[in-house]
Amino acid sequence: MTKLIIELTINGKKKKVETTPSTRLLDLIRDDLHLTGTKEGCGKGECGACTVIMNGELVASCLVLAPQADGAVITTIEGVGDDKGLDPVQEAFIESGAIQCGFCTPGMILAAKKMLEENLHPTEEEIKRGISGNLCRCTGYQKIFDAIRLAADRLSSRDGGRGEEDA
Amino acid sequence: MKKMPKEYVGKNIFKVDAYDKVTGKAIYADDIYFDDMLYIKIKRATYPHAYLRRIDISKAQKLPGVVRIITAADIPWVKNFGLIIKDQPVLVGVGQKMRYMGDALAIVIAESKEIASKAVKLIEVEVEELEIISDPLRAMEKDAPLIHQDGNILATHYLEKGDIKKGFAQADVVVENEYRTSFLDQVPLQVEAGVGVFDPETEIIKLWVATQWLHDTQADIAQSLSLPKEKIRIIQPVIGGAFGKREDISVHIHLALAAMITKKPVKLTYTREESMITQSKRHAFIVRAKTGATKEGYLTAWQVEVIGDTGAYASSGPAVVHKGMYHCTGPYNVDNVKGVAYTVYTNNTYAGAMRGFGATQMAFAYESQMDILAHKLGIDPVQFRLQNAYSIGSSTPNGQVLTHSVGVKETIKGAVDLAGWEEWKEGRL
Repeated sequence: MTKLIIELTINGKKKKVETTPSTRLLDLIRDDLHLTGTKEGCGKGECGACTVIMNGELVASCLVLAPQADGAVITTIEGVGDDKGLDPVQEAFIESGAIQCGFCTPGMILAAKKMLEENLHPTEEEIKRGISGNLCRCTGYQKIFDAIRLAADRLSSRDGGRGEEDA
Repeated sequence: MKKMPKEYVGKNIFKVDAYDKVTGKAIYADDIYFDDMLYIKIKRATYPHAYLRRIDISKAQKLPGVVRIITAADIPWVKNFGLIIKDQPVLVGVGQKMRYMGDALAIVIAESKEIASKAVKLIEVEVEELEIISDPLRAMEKDAPLIHQDGNILATHYLEKGDIKKGFAQADVVVENEYRTSFLDQVPLQVEAGVGVFDPETEIIKLWVATQWLHDTQADIAQSLSLPKEKIRIIQPVIGGAFGKREDISVHIHLALAAMITKKPVKLTYTREESMITQSKRHAFIVRAKTGATKEGYLTAWQVEVIGDTGAYASSGPAVVHKGMYHCTGPYNVDNVKGVAYTVYTNNTYAGAMRGFGATQMAFAYESQMDILAHKLGIDPVQFRLQNAYSIGSSTPNGQVLTHSVGVKETIKGAVDLAGWEEWKEGRL
């Protein structure tokens, strides 16, 4: 099988990885980089469990081939928050009880984070649209909405309410 | 311990593993890796009802990277498994029958998932096709081919309370209808997955698989492999949802065999399609209900026939269909009840446990009966339900007297308020 080497920046670290033309980005992240917070739920871009942020966009990593990520900047759930502590979105998910089995949680948090980066004052409809690519089969959506609302409120007050202008 | 209620009841407690789950650190079965780990893929049935006449693994075996392919011929000592009845084969052998598309024919073990998947496609199979029975009503006919030796009706349960004839004689209105519900997949977000390791020194097989009935699963694996229970150790990783689907054996025995035979760590993860085809479903029900009520709107008699399609294997089917029948009147008082429930084998994917365990299918039938009766009687459907609903002291179709926690009337009233029913009825919504 043809081998090739790609370079990418993942969670702020530059990586060189040997892969194949048919390897999915999801498999590269999980099997080669052992960042197993990115999950596979359906393998066809329906469930959002494999969501990562690639070059500033939310992508289903099961639908991206690894060579397409050559040169890309990627954030996985392991890159959210830092040594000092959790990201406000993560904190809000814990405090709101927005977690049941947890399998959708990494993708859900990345989708929420991306939405809040663009819009610190989302309406209920915008919150729903923001996570419309992510399924929670425990059907704990209400608490997820609550968590995103809580994170939005905290982030916007931290911002002095100027979030939208900054975004 | 005495302090606990004060400390925790009525207070928000953060989920114990919430931190791990928001940071991606929680370890699910598929997140476990070993250095020299091998990957498994399963060759599955090629026809829903057929005798396996020949299986040829020679081409698959030659594919570079394939470590081992296990067929039924390699494991003659292995026994069937199953939650209530041991009717499910670990591997279907030559001369034996495949009964649904999820039956396993061979365990392919390779150095990578890709190689294992390719090898599965190189396995050649010849089958003798039989009539596919996808309808339980066909399965119940006298001339239908037998899916299992002892007949297609796996279990028949009866229910009798009061005097059904008297009940219908008291009725001013009787409605009789047939209701059908479909199969449903529980779809936990995490598919079936596991890792197995065999320790040659202790001869203990360690399995990391998300499982709802840890000790039952351990016992079932042990009896299937003719091993003492202490040789099977299941380590529960974080569970990515279950909803009944993880009550049954899935990857467990295939992992154990692959680990024992290769002496290497092995991983088996289903695809979503494989999970859909192979693992349990919510039963499809046919419910024939005949219900009688007086012109004042009181229920007098309720008769049901329940046919539950349990698919190719029993799983928890007999218990699910039986329990479904017990719920035939819903939360409504009926003095005279009669029922029969058939749990029927077909060549569909087997059905087992799913949220509600038979009760949900029945709700479609009894609530529809209630609406139709209310309409015929010219009584408001809410009032009709309230005046028949259970209260403390009511007895269920199977004779259980309810002594506490009967909240159905409050629930109906709450639902009616939230739905805006009164406004809707008056055309204001």
